[in-house]
Amino acid sequence: MAARRSRLELIFDILLAIQNKGGRIKPTHLMYKSNLSHKLLNNYIEELMGKQLIAIEEEFTRKKQKSTKTVIITEKGLGFLAEFRRMREFTDAFGL
Amino acid sequence: MFQLFSTPQWFNGWDIAFNVVSIVVALLIAGFSWRVYSFKKENKYAYFSFAFILVAISLLFQSFTNGVLYFTPVRDIVLDVLRPATGQGLQYSDLFYRGAFFVQMASMLGAWLLIFFLSQKSRARLTKFFEVSQIALFVYFILLISVVSNFTYLVFYVTSLVLLGLIVLNYYKNYLNVQRKNAWLAMLSFLLIFMAHICFIFVFISAGFYAFGSLLMLLGFLTLLSVYVKSTKGVMR
Repeated sequence: MAARRSRLELIFDILLAIQNKGGRIKPTHLMYKSNLSHKLLNNYIEELMGKQLIAIEEEFTRKKQKSTKTVIITEKGLGFLAEFRRMREFTDAFGL
Repeated sequence: MFQLFSTPQWFNGWDIAFNVVSIVVALLIAGFSWRVYSFKKENKYAYFSFAFILVAISLLFQSFTNGVLYFTPVRDIVLDVLRPATGQGLQYSDLFYRGAFFVQMASMLGAWLLIFFLSQKSRARLTKFFEVSQIALFVYFILLISVVSNFTYLVFYVTSLVLLGLIVLNYYKNYLNVQRKNAWLAMLSFLLIFMAHICFIFVFISAGFYAFGSLLMLLGFLTLLSVYVKSTKGVMR
């Protein structure tokens, strides 16, 4: 059984899922990709928006006659991903 | 003047230069580990940082005592500084050296012990109470060994060797788990330091072992530097 993900690992997984989709992803896709419940994902999205790691873009589509949301990773978010990768490389090397 | 063991004359000074490189590497690793700690707020990274600070302290004291022994001008200054405190006979100068050797040994053994504890997988760790009592027991032995080693240096290197052997074993297990080149390099670096300590044990046979051991130690720290550079590539951007 895989070990429980830490808070930082969850944030990393969310940001990685956005990055892997070219920097923008729909919230439903993000929920599946990051393997989180709807409620938990919303909590994390709010937190990450507060920290300016991600941003939400709202777009009105005429066809569906409603607005759709897209989650976008910011420069700061990309920086977080790079920093986390380096730290993981270091801690893996020393088995920490 | 008190000396633990004799070193080859032609090598005087080189070991200090090697130590300076090793100190820089140890401080770089301690610094990055502290950065990880401030990011993740997990104590193990702070302990790892502290372990490498201890390594740097140990090497610093070793360089200082060796420097005083090797270089006459430095030795004269130290003698002048000590004279008011010790009198004309300088009968306590040995105590000063033994003190420096004690710090060198205690901090080095403490560092290896911490790294050994941290290299254990959390599954294998004991409960908090037993962990604390185990550390207390080990600290006692380290202090005891550091005192005894002032009279028989072999005790220090044999103890270091045992701890380093366990660290190498744990890092080998870690390499098998993560299968990354950096993990293999981390194991290799401690293996080189382990081999250096084997050489230091046999200094009583020939002083040449000291030079070879110092070279292996430097190679070990340079390998650690490569682990640091490979892991943190691009951090300074």
